[in-house]
Amino acid sequence: MRDGATLARSGAAVAVLVTEEFLEEAAFIARAVGMPDVPIVRLPHPTAGVGEAAGAAIARQAAADIVDRLRGGLADEHQV
Amino acid sequence: MSTRSERHAAEDDAAAVEELHRRGWTDGLPVIVPTPQRVDEMLVMSGGLDPDVVLGTIGPADGEATVEKVAVNAVMAGCTPAMLPVAMAAVEAVADPAFELSAVQVTTHGLGPLVLVNGPVRRECGIAAGTGALGPGHRANACIGRALRLVLMNVGGGRTGTGDMAQLGHPGKFTYCVAEDEERSPFEPFHVSRGFDVEDSVVTVLGAEAPHSVLCVTDPDEPDPVDRLVRLLGASLANTGSNNVYLGKGNVAVILNPTHAEILAEHPRHVVQERIHAHAWQHRSLLRRLGGDLIADGAGDDRLHVTANPEDILLFVAGGDGQYSVVLPTWAAGTHGSLAISRSVRHEKACMVPLT
Repeated sequence: MRDGATLARSGAAVAVLVTEEFLEEAAFIARAVGMPDVPIVRLPHPTAGVGEAAGAAIARQAAADIVDRLRGGLADEHQV
Repeated sequence: MSTRSERHAAEDDAAAVEELHRRGWTDGLPVIVPTPQRVDEMLVMSGGLDPDVVLGTIGPADGEATVEKVAVNAVMAGCTPAMLPVAMAAVEAVADPAFELSAVQVTTHGLGPLVLVNGPVRRECGIAAGTGALGPGHRANACIGRALRLVLMNVGGGRTGTGDMAQLGHPGKFTYCVAEDEERSPFEPFHVSRGFDVEDSVVTVLGAEAPHSVLCVTDPDEPDPVDRLVRLLGASLANTGSNNVYLGKGNVAVILNPTHAEILAEHPRHVVQERIHAHAWQHRSLLRRLGGDLIADGAGDDRLHVTANPEDILLFVAGGDGQYSVVLPTWAAGTHGSLAISRSVRHEKACMVPLT
C-alpha cells in the first residue's frame, strides 16, 4: 500500500492489489500517508498456496479489475 | 513545561483508565494515567531535549515520536523517570530506516522488538540480566519494553488488524527487554562488539520471535562440550519452521546462560559465532521439500545457512545458571532481513524545571 501511494504521488497510474484480510490495514495506511483514494483492487484471501488453476483464475479476474479501476470504474465497491 | 499533546478529561483515575481502554490506547492491561504532572516529572529525564523534538517517525502510520509522546507512553507503561532515556533510545533505534519498522509492524509473522540494554544504565534503572530476566517481576524490564510497545501502537498505529497484522503474535509483543549480564560474560560486552565504549549505555533492538529454549546438559567429564553446545545452538537456529533458514538474511540472536557461556569462554565471541554458524544450516533438498518455492532450485546437498555471515549471529549473555540457553529466530524478510540497530542512551537531566 505504501509503495502504491508513493507511486501514485509521483503521477503514475496505480492500482494496489490487496487481499480481503488486509483491506482494513491498507485503508489505514493509505489514510496515514495522506493518499486515501489510491485505487484498490480486492483479491480473495489467501492467494498464496491455492494451486495453479485457482491462482490463474484469480489473476484473470484481477487483471480485468485493474483495467476497470485504471479506467475509473469499480468505484467504491472495491474501495474500503 | 507545557505539553503539545491533546488533553482529555475524566472524572477520576479509574474513569480515565477506562477511557484509555475504550480509545484503544492501551495494550489491554491497565495503564498509569498520563496526567500533565506525571508527564512533566518524566520529562525531567529527557536528556536535555525539548518535548517537541522528534526522535523518529513510527510506521506504519508515520506518527512523529516526540520526546513528549514517548514520555506520555512511558508514564502509561509504568516507567520511572530514570527509565525514560532507555525508552527514548529504543524508539530512536526502531525508527532507524534499516530496522524497517513499518514492515515489522504489519507483517503476518509473529515478532516483537527485543530491547537489549548494555552499560551503566542497567544498574541505574535496575534492568535485570540474570535469572528470569525475560519473565515477570522485574519492573524496569517490564515497563521499558512496554513503553516501546505503547509508542508503536499509539504513535505508529500498530494495532491488531490495521497496523499490526501478526497472525498470532507472541507475549514479547507486550514487553521484551533485557540487560546483558556483562559481569558474567566471558566475552567483551555486546555493545563494545558493536563499536561503543564500555562506559557507554546502549540500547540494541532486534525484531525477534519468542525465545526458543535450547537444552544442553553439561558434563565435566565430557571430552568436548564446546562442540556439542555449538552444534545444538546451530541446529536450533536452523529450525525448519522459522524463516531464517529459508531466507538467510539479517540477524538472529543467541542468549547464552552464564553456565554455557563459561563452557565457550576459551574462545572469543567471533570464534563462537563462526562455530555456531558452521552448524546453522539445512540441506537445500530438505528445504525444498518442506518450503517449496521459498527455496530456489539447485544442488540438493547445498548447505543453506540461517545467516549470510557468522557475525550476523548476535551473541550475548543473560539468564540464570543452568542447562537452558535460548535462540531468537527473526523475520529475515524485507530489504535487510531483521537488522539489529543500536543507539546510545542519553543520561543527562533536562535543564528546565517542570512547571505544574
